[in-house]
Amino acid sequence: MSSRTWNTPARAVLVPQTGRALGYLLTSLLAGVTGFAWSLASTLAVGVISITRLGGPAFLGATWVTRRLAAIERHRAGWLLGAPIGSPYLPVKDGPVLQRIRSIAVQPATWRDLAWLVVLFPLGVAGGIVGIVVAAVELGAVTAPAWAWAVPNPNAPFLLKPAMTTTPGRFVLCLLGLALLPVVAWLLRRLAGAQVWAARALLAPGNHRQLVERAAQLAESRTRVVDAQAAELRRIERDLHDGAQARIVAAGMTLALAERKLRNGGEIVPDVRLVRRQLDDALAELRRLVRGIHPPILTDRGLYPALAALAADSPLAVEVRGDPTDRYAPAIESAAYFVVAEGLANAGKHADATCCLIVLARVPGLVMVTLTDDGRGGADPAGSGLSGLRQRIEALDGTMTLTSPPGGPTSLHAEFPCAS
Amino acid sequence: MRIVIAEDLLLLRDGLVRMLTDTGHEVVAAVDNATELLTAVTTHRPNLSIVDVRLPPGFRDEGLRAALAIRAADPDARVLILSQYVERAYAAELLADGRGGVGYLLKDRVTALDDFLDAVERVAGGGTAMDPEVVRQLFARNSRDRGVTALTAREREVLDLMAQGLSNSAICAALVLAPVSVEKHITNIFTKLDLPPATDSHRRVRAVLAHLNQ
Repeated sequence: MSSRTWNTPARAVLVPQTGRALGYLLTSLLAGVTGFAWSLASTLAVGVISITRLGGPAFLGATWVTRRLAAIERHRAGWLLGAPIGSPYLPVKDGPVLQRIRSIAVQPATWRDLAWLVVLFPLGVAGGIVGIVVAAVELGAVTAPAWAWAVPNPNAPFLLKPAMTTTPGRFVLCLLGLALLPVVAWLLRRLAGAQVWAARALLAPGNHRQLVERAAQLAESRTRVVDAQAAELRRIERDLHDGAQARIVAAGMTLALAERKLRNGGEIVPDVRLVRRQLDDALAELRRLVRGIHPPILTDRGLYPALAALAADSPLAVEVRGDPTDRYAPAIESAAYFVVAEGLANAGKHADATCCLIVLARVPGLVMVTLTDDGRGGADPAGSGLSGLRQRIEALDGTMTLTSPPGGPTSLHAEFPCAS
Repeated sequence: MRIVIAEDLLLLRDGLVRMLTDTGHEVVAAVDNATELLTAVTTHRPNLSIVDVRLPPGFRDEGLRAALAIRAADPDARVLILSQYVERAYAAELLADGRGGVGYLLKDRVTALDDFLDAVERVAGGGTAMDPEVVRQLFARNSRDRGVTALTAREREVLDLMAQGLSNSAICAALVLAPVSVEKHITNIFTKLDLPPATDSHRRVRAVLAHLNQ
């Protein structure tokens, strides 16, 4: 996109861009002076006050103002960047003054703000003056025919004298100015660009902030994963308790009664049949449960055959595409399997779909699985099944996208980063 | 005997009803939650309530709480708790009020029909029925207790059965011992565990369990 911007003879882009650059340079002059005065005054004042007990509040107050000034600077840089520079600050928790001071003082952003206000002084003053002079000379040259006659300048230096004093000379000056216009505009943009580059280097969120954010994200996702795992274990325990275990106990009861009947010479064939049925049911329950924990075919054959088996069990017409022999990391295979299992179940249950396409693909560094149905759409991404899946996928640093406009079709897409 | 059953799984509830009815008991109410259990107990005043630990709506320990509430309201109420797992802590809560007429058994025990019916009679008669698994947990917890380690193998067996709530005669029958030797073993156990002598079977169980549960 940027190459297009530069390749098109885009006067529509360059003219306002130059105007903004000039505006930036001129305001930099003011900002540089203000910032320098503030940083000098505040540092001195806080230094002096910190001898007393008011040093803490003075530091907090000064930092507050510095941050406001830096915020203005970030917005000003936005004129040229298209969007303001992002805020780099880490949240400060409420607490005793000393604790707040510490948590502000350890943030690199606090000191980078101050550094920018100091650096902006030479940069802003120099850039501002150059900008003003260059723009003024250029303006003067281009408009020379309109004004130079009014200020006859017999003492002008050699080359300027004919240009200033004769009418053709003034027009030559004007032409010269017009010819130099692109160069001057380029110079202004470069000057402003250099300043914004420096501003971004100091004011944008640094590595520190990014690492802290990443750590917070990881901590949060880890908590969610642990919660999800605990919930999953509880579900398994419940399923065992109410399912297989109860059936086996029931079979035991039937056998106990049968034994008693046998002792009294009673008929026990119906009881034995009942026990067999109860044990069959218990086994079926166990199989169902095991499939929900980790389908054996996934271990034995891999993802594609497991998806093919899911497809065959589904009441929908399901087509599976992908490499039947490709194997992935066990965690990815398991997560992808349950994405498809949940997606298929939803397609049949909620979306009234009749057919479904599953695509399993690998590009370098990424495994993708996509499930598209022909149902009526409108799936809720916050539903418990889907949000559970999302947690599972995010735990693997993957992403899940659900597209389900009302009327359909619904498409569920999951991506997992992988080593190869 | 008139019995109230509280069990949320239909399969097991029906099994219990069939089993108790076939063996000559009367199931006056079979309910699937704790609230109805409390109502049924108030209405029918049964000889015994057989209660699943885990009941709706929370499926945690509602049954146990209901049992404690029943016994708090009526000191003579007898409750037998059934569960698919046993927890020493739950047993301690049941025994805490110091009165007899409580039981805590694994659901699996119902398949040993005679032993189960025996436990039912015992609890209804004001005795105690503790699951062997609870007793095993108690022993495991006391594996370093000097009194427990001083017991002979036979004394351990007797203590095991005694802790389950069996009477002297039942212990005699189970271990094929003469009543005199069982009594001798019990006296030894009480001496080694440093417990005050007790003749009443329930108070005896309580003393032993309290000691092991310390």
